[in-house]
Order: sequence, then C-alpha cells, then structure tokens
Amino acid sequence: MSDARDDIVTVGLLAEGMHDPGVPPAGIRRAPTGVDDLATEHLIVNMGPQHPSTHGVLRMLVELDGEEVKNAEVTLGYLHRGIEKLAEHRRFDALGTLMDRGDYVSGIMGETAVALAVEQLMEIEVPRRARWIRVMMAELNRIATHLLWYGTMGLDTGAMGPFLYAMRDRESLLDILEAVSGARMMFNYVRPGGVVADLPVSIEAKIREFCDAFDTYVDEHDAILAGNEIFQARLDGIGVIDAEMALAFGLTGPNLRASGVDFDLRKRRPYDAYDEMIFDVPLGVTGDAMDRFSVRMEEMRQSSRIIRQCIEGMPEGGYTAKVPKVLKPPAGEVYASVESARGEVGIHLVTDGGTSPYRMHYHGPSLYALQALEDLMPGYLLADGCIMIGSADIMLGEVDR
Amino acid sequence: MSPTLAVVVKLVSIIALMLTNGVFMIYLLRKVLGHLHIRLGPMHVGPHGILQTMNDVIKLLTKEDLTPRLADKALFFLAPMIVFVPSFMAYLALPFSDTLKATSLETGLLFTFAVLSVVPIGILLAGWSSGNKWGLLGGMRSAAMQIAYEVPLLLSALPVVMLAGTTDLGGIVDAQAGTWLSVIPRWFITNPLIWPTFLIFVIASLIEVNQTPFDMSEAESELVAGFGADYSAMKFGLIYLSEFSNTFVMSALGVTLFFGGWLVPWIPMSWYEAVPVLAPTVFMLKTYLGIVLMWWIRGTYPRVRIDQLMDLGWKRLIPAALVMIVLTGVVDKLIVPLFNGAVSW
Amino acid sequence: MLPDANEIRTLLAGSGVDAEVDTVLLGTVARVQAADAIDALAAFRADGYESLVDFDGMDTGEAIELTWRLRSYSMDCEAYLKTTVPYDAEIHSAWNIYASALMPERETAELLGLRLAGHPNPKRLFTTDGIPPLLRKDVPIRSVEEVKNR
Repeated sequence: MSDARDDIVTVGLLAEGMHDPGVPPAGIRRAPTGVDDLATEHLIVNMGPQHPSTHGVLRMLVELDGEEVKNAEVTLGYLHRGIEKLAEHRRFDALGTLMDRGDYVSGIMGETAVALAVEQLMEIEVPRRARWIRVMMAELNRIATHLLWYGTMGLDTGAMGPFLYAMRDRESLLDILEAVSGARMMFNYVRPGGVVADLPVSIEAKIREFCDAFDTYVDEHDAILAGNEIFQARLDGIGVIDAEMALAFGLTGPNLRASGVDFDLRKRRPYDAYDEMIFDVPLGVTGDAMDRFSVRMEEMRQSSRIIRQCIEGMPEGGYTAKVPKVLKPPAGEVYASVESARGEVGIHLVTDGGTSPYRMHYHGPSLYALQALEDLMPGYLLADGCIMIGSADIMLGEVDR
Repeated sequence: MSPTLAVVVKLVSIIALMLTNGVFMIYLLRKVLGHLHIRLGPMHVGPHGILQTMNDVIKLLTKEDLTPRLADKALFFLAPMIVFVPSFMAYLALPFSDTLKATSLETGLLFTFAVLSVVPIGILLAGWSSGNKWGLLGGMRSAAMQIAYEVPLLLSALPVVMLAGTTDLGGIVDAQAGTWLSVIPRWFITNPLIWPTFLIFVIASLIEVNQTPFDMSEAESELVAGFGADYSAMKFGLIYLSEFSNTFVMSALGVTLFFGGWLVPWIPMSWYEAVPVLAPTVFMLKTYLGIVLMWWIRGTYPRVRIDQLMDLGWKRLIPAALVMIVLTGVVDKLIVPLFNGAVSW
Repeated sequence: MLPDANEIRTLLAGSGVDAEVDTVLLGTVARVQAADAIDALAAFRADGYESLVDFDGMDTGEAIELTWRLRSYSMDCEAYLKTTVPYDAEIHSAWNIYASALMPERETAELLGLRLAGHPNPKRLFTTDGIPPLLRKDVPIRSVEEVKNR
C-alpha cells in the first residue's frame, strides 16, 4: 500500500460519530487485533503452512496459555494465485477453468456460478436437459466434497479408518465424474449455455449403482463417527456459532444452516433445475461442531435423493444452447451465486463489451468462515481449534484465490 | 554355567527378543491397520512385504543423525536412552514359562511398573530438549498423562495381587492354574469381580503406551509426532522401538495378570514339561492377541482431548479402582471363606 | 427478492444520506457519496439487513468503485450499496456494523491500493510487502514473453 502523498487529498469514508474501532459489534466476542509476535508471557505457536490439520496452506499464529488459546491470528496468501486478475485476461468460456482452481474440490459448482453470470448478461436460455445434467453433476460433486470433508474430520480427531472409507467411496464418484467430464478434479464441464458434452450412454446404470451403495453406507459412516462417544465428546459444544454471530460474520451454506438459519440458495433463489427437485434442507440447532457435522451428513443423503430424481426424470433435448464461439456479452454488471458445498459461491461480473471480463470478483465462502474462527478460537483448547477448522470446512483455494 | 555367563546370555536373549519383537510388530501393525482400512499394507518388499521392516531398519541405521541448533545437546542425546532402557528392563520379570524368566523376582509386578514409569521422564526430556514448541507441548502432555495414569494402573493390579497373594509374576500365573467346573479356566478374567478392574487396566495401559485413543503426545494430526518430531535416524529408532516394546510389555502384563500367562488348562502339565517351547509359544500367542486388540482400537477410535483424559483419570478411574480394591478385599477375604468347602476360588 | 427502490431511498434519506437508487440487472443498487457510506451501512443494518455477504472494489479507470452486497434474511432480499473513492484514498472500516467486512476490507485495500482506518488489524492479507496493488488496471499482468525474457 502506498504511503500518503502530500498532493493527494484524503477523501474517505468519514469517521464522525463512529464507535471506537476496538469495540466489537453485536454478536461478536472481541476485536481481532492479531497476535503480537514479540509478546513473551504466553507461548506463541505457529501452526505453520504445512500442517496436517489445516486443510491447505493456512498459517495460524496461536497464543497459548498452557493448552488454552488466548489469541489467534490467521495469515493467508500462501495459495494466492491472482484468480481475479487472471480473469481479466481470459475468454468467458475459459473462466470456468479458473473457478475449477478456486475451490478445487467442488469444481462443478464454481463453473456453474460463472456460467450463470454470463448467461444472465447474454440472456441465454439453457435447454432443460442441460439444466438437469448440471444439477446432477453438482449434486455428485457435493457428495464428493462432503465425503472428503468427512474423512478429514475423522483424521483431525485421530480416527484413521473413516478417512480411508471415505476415499474408497469417493473413488466410485470420481469414476462417474471422470466418465462424464473427462477429469477427476478440474472438470471444465459446465460452460455458458449448458455443458460441454452429453452424458455417456452407460452412465445411468453406474449412477444408480452408486446411489444404491451410497444410501447403505452413508449410515455406516455416520455411525462410525457420530455414534462414537469420544467423537461426540470432542465435538459437542465446540465452536458454537449462534445465529446472530453467523449472520454478523456473513456465513453461508452448511455453516449458516447449522446455526439454525433456514437459507439455502437452491430453495430461495433456484437456479438450473432446482425448482423441479424435491429435497429437504437440514438445519442445526445450536451451531456447535456436532451440528455442522450432522447437517453435512444429512445434506449428503439429500443429494443422493436429488441424483435419483435426476436419473429418473432426465429430459431429452440438447446439452447446450447455441452460443457463439467467442462470447461477447454486452457491457453490464451482474452477480450470480450458487449453493456450493461450502457455502455461497458468488461471481460479481462486470463486462465492457469485450471478449474478457472487465472485473470478476469471486466470493469464496471459506474466507468468511475463517474470519469467524479467529473470533471463536480464544477460550478453547488447541485441540479444539483443529476441530473447529475442520468442522467449518475451510478450503484454502477459495479463501486465497 | 558360571553365573556371569548366565546373566550375559539372559541379557543378550532379551535384547534379541526385544528386537525381533519390534521387527515383527512393526510389520504386523502395518498389516493390521492396513486391513482395517481396506487396504493392503506393505506388499512390495519381499512376499507380502515381509522384508519391509528390514528395509526400514537399514534405512534408519544409515540416515543422518541431526541435532537441531536450538536443542539441548546433552539431554537430546540422553532422552532416547532414558526412553529405551526402562523398556528393556521391563522384560526382566516377565514369566514366559515356569522356568523361563530372566529373573524370578518376588516383587516382580512392582518392579515392572516402577521401571515403566521412568519412560514418561524420557519422553518429557525428549520433548523439552528438542528446542521446539511443538515438541514441548507433546512432552508436557505426555508427562501429565502417563504419570497421572500410573496410579489407576497400579491400583487396578492390586485386586489381582490380593487374589493371588503375591506380587511375584510367576506366582500370579501359578495362582491361575486349574479349571472351574472343569470347563472354564481359572484365569482371573473369568472371575466377574475382576471385570471392572480389567477395564480400568485396559484403559490405563492404553495410555501408558501412548496408543490412540490416547496418543495426544504424538497426535499426528495436531502435533505431528510431538515429542519425537526432531529425532532422526537411530535416536528415532530407539524411541519408536521402545514404544512397540512397551506395547508388548503391557500386553504381556495383561496376559500374566488376567489371562493366566502361559497356562492353558486344557493342555496337561505333562505336555508343558515335555515340550519346553510350548509354554513360551502359548504366552507369545496370547500376548499378540492382546496387541492386535490394542491396534484394532487404535485403527478405529478418534483421539480424546487432554483435559477430558485428565478428567477421566482423576475423577473416574481412580475412585473406581479404589472401590474395586475394597470390594475385592471384602469379597475375597471375608465373604468367600464363609462359603468355603463348597467352592474354592 | 428485490427490495423496492423507493423504500431504500426513503430509508437512506431517513439517515440523512442522499442516495440514487436504481433497479438494474445487478439488483437494487443504492449509490452514495464516499463520506456517507458508513451511515448508509448503519441504516441498512438498522432496517433488517443482517448480513454483509460480499464486499469488493473495482478500478474503473478514473477512481475505485466499492460495492457492498447486503442480505436481509428476515425480508429475504438483497440490496447493493456502491460508492466511488479516488485512488490512494483512505476508507473507514465498517467492521463495527458488519463484522464480515474484516478480511474483505483488508483484501480490497491491499489489492486496490487503499488505506484502512478504524480496522483492528489492517495488515496485508494475500501478498507480500513490495507487491503493487494487483487489481489496478495500470499494474500489468506479465505476459509469457515477459516471463521468458526475464
């Protein structure tokens, strides 16, 4: 940031009548002032960028008094690749590849967000079959993401078994995703106008088989962890985010729903074919880590339900609308958001009539969850801190972008 | 055989046993955990990965031995030895058969526990001397945990001592000879009074060997090997070996105290005398069953938090152990003699 | 889902804020002067817009345009607040009103070259010292040739 220069008049947002910056607003516990590296009374530990429990390259400075966390500060930027800057130099149908690398586990949903944004600007009508395919792929991706989260949740608490069971189950999912889109991780499948290619002929049987198997073992997975006394003791009452705090911190997705706020973009702002799907939205009660766990487990079951409906009722038709080879949306501004596995992924797209966006802002829900964690961690033990990071499902790709 | 030679032979054979055990147990652990996790474990080195541990030992022997710049050099060098030597000493009183023991100590049980309680000191030293905050946290957690649980461990062994009438491990095994109704072995585990005590022993022993659900001092997903993080090459090898060795000793103690040691009542004593290798084989089999059980728990359960663990120990296990001592004493010394004649424990 | 533009205008006028409110493709957008932005946010908060769900900035070529996206869960609608600040200006943090502004403000200030006032922890977030404000239009992205001929 440049220093103040004499010839620039400081015109800013005036601070008259504002409260003291040290006083936190309602619902928040304390002002996050960061951890002072030089303080010596408490032990300052660096949960460094390479750490098995931080789900990516996240660095936390934690000030400990014995085992209790007194203060915590999050240092980001280890995965900053300048996605927003890069977007200004990409064609519109290539923006999906950038989104794939944001939240790299839920690629389909990121691509859908940017595709929706472009479609809104260009007023493209996506064919019905394409919308249904998108929904089905998104829900398959959601289960894959939640399974990964489930496995790492087990690892965070020390149970190694559930991680491997989740990976085994995820393999069949990734096989399906690969058969449809060609890749296990960077799908590059959803484009403005529809999807890249139609579903392969044999996929229906595979997906049905997957759903049948999944519905039996999701209960097993739930029982192995949630039914375990030690796991319950580790998660009950940890990291309680009540509804007021959740709203104050701008949380979205399962984190918000675990705190009791009934808001799911698939129901409230239906996009693609979600208005034609029948499913429930699980809500938590207290907003502790156990609620977040249960909400995500239930979401997996609901996703399986949606996938079944998609397979049963898949309409005939085209898999994409007729769009020009080089997309040139008219100048304008739009905000499109989707319900990703971790929360609301929003794309604020500003165009100037050219072949690249003028500005693309990518709202990653994990950033807001991470802010909430900085406020939550003091008062709990260090071991609880790892649990809280895990239960909030932080993905550094969409935090740093 | 001169006494000195006998002692030397015994010590050498204990080292040999310890090392062989270690090698075999590491392989077994990886296979057990692997199959619990629906994967195969080591498969490449040798048929079904049998030579994998050999490979690992050679690797450890040839690695560079690093000492961190901030480490306390003397303690850093000493700590693995303080962890290893007591593990070695704990083998001395274990009864592998009627005659096959390193030494026949009248206070064998007490000796074994005393020697095992030196290990947490070594772990604390290892964590402290690493010059690393994470190591320190691991070491402190371990010291708090293991030293606190020495009490329930010993208290849970007392009812057995009461029933057996001696602390000599060989004597405890002898007290479990014979059968009850000629079908049920007269091991202490078949005595319903002992079941709560056995539970306390299992929990306390899992903690003593730093095994999940109680491995906070290593806590792979938080501290990443905690107290042992800065050790490389053979120093790490010593710590690692002593951990496996402790597991073996704890399981062996459990077998001796509760499962009749090398005695299986359906095998007549004449067979034991005829085939001298039978008793140790039975003992080792039972011990390994116990070890596999401990690892089954390890591969399934999540980890308990340190304050929850302290809670469990001080507020629940110690009172329970004390109650069991009183109960066992009352039943065994007062009530049972009243029924003497018809039934004899 | 779309709040009424007149209602927003009245709401903001009630706090003494002069605003242009339009309903465009983006949604219902209220445009205010830089000095009034904090008061406008406070007015929104008091009216039931409980959550700030997004905050970002854009280099328009002449100035920097800041956008707040506010959501009301009780009324189930979203509204946008926009303002324009000159380059290298100082913006006051809105964290006392919406705590979710904490890190987005740090990010925006860092990547667009603004200064933050009233923020409890105004450190850099994503880039290291010495990196210019990346999202400014005059900061170039390096081309492949540039990288090859480094």
